[in-house]
Amino acid sequence: MIRAVLTGIRLHMKQASRNPFDLSGVIVWPILYATIACYLLDAKHDPRLLLSASLGAAVMLMWSLVVIASSGALEQQRWQGTLELVVAAPTPLTAVIGPICVAGALVGTYAIGATLAWGALLFDVPVKIEQPFAFAVGLLACALSVGMLGLILAATFVLYRASFHLGIATQYPVWIVTGLIVPLSILPSFVRPISWLLAPTWGFRAIQEAALGRTPWPDIGMCLVLSLVYLAIGGSCLVGFEYVARARGSLRLT
Amino acid sequence: MNTLRVIFVGGLTSYRALFNWISPWIFVPHTLGYPIFEILFFAYLGRFAGVESDRFFLIGNAFLGIAVTGMFGMGHATAGERRSQTLAAVLASPANRFAVFLGRALPSIVTGFFVAATSFSVCAAILGVHVPASAVPGLALATVAAAFGCTALGLCIGALGLRGRNVSVFADVIAACMLVVSGANVPLYRLPGWIQTISSGIPLTHGIEAARATAGGASIGANAGLLAKEATVGVVYLVVGLIMLKVFEYEGRRTASLETF
Repeated sequence: MIRAVLTGIRLHMKQASRNPFDLSGVIVWPILYATIACYLLDAKHDPRLLLSASLGAAVMLMWSLVVIASSGALEQQRWQGTLELVVAAPTPLTAVIGPICVAGALVGTYAIGATLAWGALLFDVPVKIEQPFAFAVGLLACALSVGMLGLILAATFVLYRASFHLGIATQYPVWIVTGLIVPLSILPSFVRPISWLLAPTWGFRAIQEAALGRTPWPDIGMCLVLSLVYLAIGGSCLVGFEYVARARGSLRLT
Repeated sequence: MNTLRVIFVGGLTSYRALFNWISPWIFVPHTLGYPIFEILFFAYLGRFAGVESDRFFLIGNAFLGIAVTGMFGMGHATAGERRSQTLAAVLASPANRFAVFLGRALPSIVTGFFVAATSFSVCAAILGVHVPASAVPGLALATVAAAFGCTALGLCIGALGLRGRNVSVFADVIAACMLVVSGANVPLYRLPGWIQTISSGIPLTHGIEAARATAGGASIGANAGLLAKEATVGVVYLVVGLIMLKVFEYEGRRTASLETF
């Protein structure tokens, strides 16, 4: 099981990193969001704010990649006619889909380097990571928790092929609600409790706190706790939805 | 006449193929949810940064919604044929290429108008932005000009799809660049001079400027120059796109290959 998960993560990361054309999207999107944020937030003359915006833009992309990876991989297998084989294999479906989501999030970590380098070169953003070890751990915890949140989404992709479109539609709401660039303080108060349930909130805070030299460990802990909760929910949903799809014989046709 | 038939019958078939299978409870959140939250995201970012008004971001992003559908509709037309392995068959047919691909893009463009108008209205209500009714004709005119320009740019991207395997990613990147370069989310005066030069040569920039001026109370006559510039940019991209379509198809036939990169 562990071997299947690790091999899955490695394989999907390699696959996602193979095509330079695809990778250009991974690099360009967060850079553009960071650019918009920098041009607008530059008016506030706060370099730490620009650093936070660069990190936020990278986590935004991480979430997008998880949505695309989890749904795209299943859709791809539907197109290739291999989804039934994956479902029929003795390896639990969670161990097949979980690594796809986590690999998507890990590919998103490329964006961190891109946005930081871009910010430093063009906007003089001070790229000084105050706690490098905590930053690295925070980055992994962020990728894991965001990937596991993707697992819950992926569970619905087993049942409905159109779920991909719903997944794509969750990008901006999640970016807003988790305060990745726009602080939660200027959003309506009902948004805050929602943000507590979503991994990007804590993942972003973890790397932001580590970069700014504050206290990232509670946020890293929250990432790990949420990862376990998401795994339990996503895993159960996958088992349930897989059963429904088998019972209806609709794995390929939904 | 046959060209018109290919455009409209192709468009109708394409619409059914694109949207008939999708249930409303997925279609509506996907097509309306995305642009609505995009507008809100940038409007809140603008509020936080203290740069420009909600109306600035509302108009800029509503126009981006139209741009994306026009550009992607045309850009994905060839990519879609390639994916379903029918590109060679389409190219072997005697039908007018422009008509075939415009027909494929037509449903996206029509949906784009509907989506932009709805998301504009919803977000105006949420953000408390008031646009006078007298501005509607001017906004509609700017919308048509911008949609034409973006569809023409989409034709260029679609033509690239005759040679490239993955133009969807390219279209994605272009759309992303437009977030910044078109002035939809960053006031043009805040951008470096060389980006402003590029901005003046791409679709959308002048359309958005005209729409913002109209919403601010300017008459259609006062914006005639901006609208003419937007239309001219569109015509240039249309001509370039048609030439690219011709050249790349010829090259594809000559080298017996529809994939070079």
